[in-house]
Amino acid sequence: MGLDHDLQAGDGVKPGGRAAAAAILVGLAIAAAAVVGWFQRPRDVVTVLLWFAGAIVLHDLVVLPLYSLLDRVVLGARRVREAGFPIVYVRIPAVLSALLLIVFSPGILGLGAATARGASGIAEHGYGVRWLVASGVIFALSGLVYALRTLSARSAPAAPRRRAAGPA
Amino acid sequence: MPRLDPAAPPPGPFRPGFWRSPLRGPRLTAILGLVLLIGLPVVIITGLLSNDAYQPGLGGNALGRSVGAPLDLYLFGWPTHPAWLYALSQGLHVSVGLAVFPVLLAKLWSVIPRLFEWPPVRGPVHALERLSLALLVGGALFEFVTGIFNVQYWYVFSFRFVQAHYYGAWVFTGAFLTHVALKLGTLRSTLRTRSEVAALAAPGAGSRALLDSPNPGPVTISRRAMLGTVGAGSLLLGVQGAAQAIGGPLRPLAFLLPRGSTRPGRLGFPVNRTVAGAGISARSIGPDWRVTLIGARRVSLSRERLLALPQHTYDLPIACVEGWSTTQRWSGVRLRDLAALCGVGGPAEVTSQSLDHGTYGHATLGHEQVADERSLLALHVNGVALSPDHGFPARVISPAVPGVHCTKWVSTMTFRPVTA
Repeated sequence: MGLDHDLQAGDGVKPGGRAAAAAILVGLAIAAAAVVGWFQRPRDVVTVLLWFAGAIVLHDLVVLPLYSLLDRVVLGARRVREAGFPIVYVRIPAVLSALLLIVFSPGILGLGAATARGASGIAEHGYGVRWLVASGVIFALSGLVYALRTLSARSAPAAPRRRAAGPA
Repeated sequence: MPRLDPAAPPPGPFRPGFWRSPLRGPRLTAILGLVLLIGLPVVIITGLLSNDAYQPGLGGNALGRSVGAPLDLYLFGWPTHPAWLYALSQGLHVSVGLAVFPVLLAKLWSVIPRLFEWPPVRGPVHALERLSLALLVGGALFEFVTGIFNVQYWYVFSFRFVQAHYYGAWVFTGAFLTHVALKLGTLRSTLRTRSEVAALAAPGAGSRALLDSPNPGPVTISRRAMLGTVGAGSLLLGVQGAAQAIGGPLRPLAFLLPRGSTRPGRLGFPVNRTVAGAGISARSIGPDWRVTLIGARRVSLSRERLLALPQHTYDLPIACVEGWSTTQRWSGVRLRDLAALCGVGGPAEVTSQSLDHGTYGHATLGHEQVADERSLLALHVNGVALSPDHGFPARVISPAVPGVHCTKWVSTMTFRPVTA
């Protein structure tokens, strides 16, 4: 059978083979049936498709290039390029803080506040401050790790690594 | 159409040398892929379970969705044991979903050079594969974005969330199955190859893997630190989801989600819809309120008459589709006693209609729920009378059902015998 022929134990499905084509067609058939489901609400379909395509374009061609560019600009700054600048201890907390901001932006920017109040009866605010505090804690932890590592490196400069590299 | 020269991509991202991060490579992608291979099925399966828990085949539960289509899987009547089943399943859906999101972003970053493959299309099968990849990426982003907005009450989209998210999940699932079938072998062989061997084999071996940069920039962060950052991001987001699902003393840890806070007191536990939000007048839930039971006969009961019936008390959760839950002590009359009162013996389902005529103003519970001794028309919670926000004068509470099926401010209950 073609399917057996295309499947090899360690190698999986051969690209471009008949099994690959079959796997792709099965996936596309399921997706097509799902799109039929969307058509149950015809006036929603255009918006749904716009959001679907928009999500790809926005992520792949806007968000990803933007954060890559931002990272490159920061790394290219003269002060950062100086030897020993602990950029990694800024970069990691910055990424985590940005992640929290992006995922919880509806709350932080108060975009869902009115609906949430009608649902829960609680007029909750201050998410922006909480995000700032959380970011502060993340940066502080990163700084703490940096300080501890610098101190331990200074106090034992010649100490051999505990896990020595194996013989070359 | 001019023939595209495979060896001469246009300048910019179509040239492999454009992508310089030394972090990218088949191993990074395989590790992130493995995490997604474990995490995403949890999100998919709990999502499908949630669809089943809503029992869209009963009464008006489908809310206008047609449930006859091939992808409307509604496989079994939803069980009532354990009572925390829906709290667990939906808590996992939202928490694991949140935790997986940073991994998805990292995975997309790791494979972005492949978006700019040259030539863009090599043949009909390759074209179909690229289409299925567009559905994979678009489906994932669509599901995560709508889900993340929904749990934060930001209904910025004009489409109906349930249909968009449910069928969107199937678009994604189809593409995901294809992707797993095509890439599982690569994932396994990449992870099986010891990194030292890979490092020896990769440079100059003439078989540079597609994701390795041919022109890598300086190393500014280790791969381990990058994966650690992704893991920390997953933890930060996952804890927010888990805290609102577990509730109790952990709830304040969900400090960036709307369900991280509660009101004080015995009645302070979370509410999905307030009496004001539902637009219910004080008069309609005043002394003249009656619940009408419709079965073989019609019975109208005041709150006093209900209180005179045998009362039972159980600890049961309210578990919302948004992933939060809260377990409280409910007291009231058993649904099966009410069924008997209006002349319906044996297996029956019940449709409860609220004074609230909004989207979730009615819900139908199946015979499994009606038969369970813990399914109540509750009159008290935590030892005190229900408050208007919690459904006074009377509300339904039933083990393991989605929160919105625990109808509040009940005005009529229609019991229909079924063949179980």
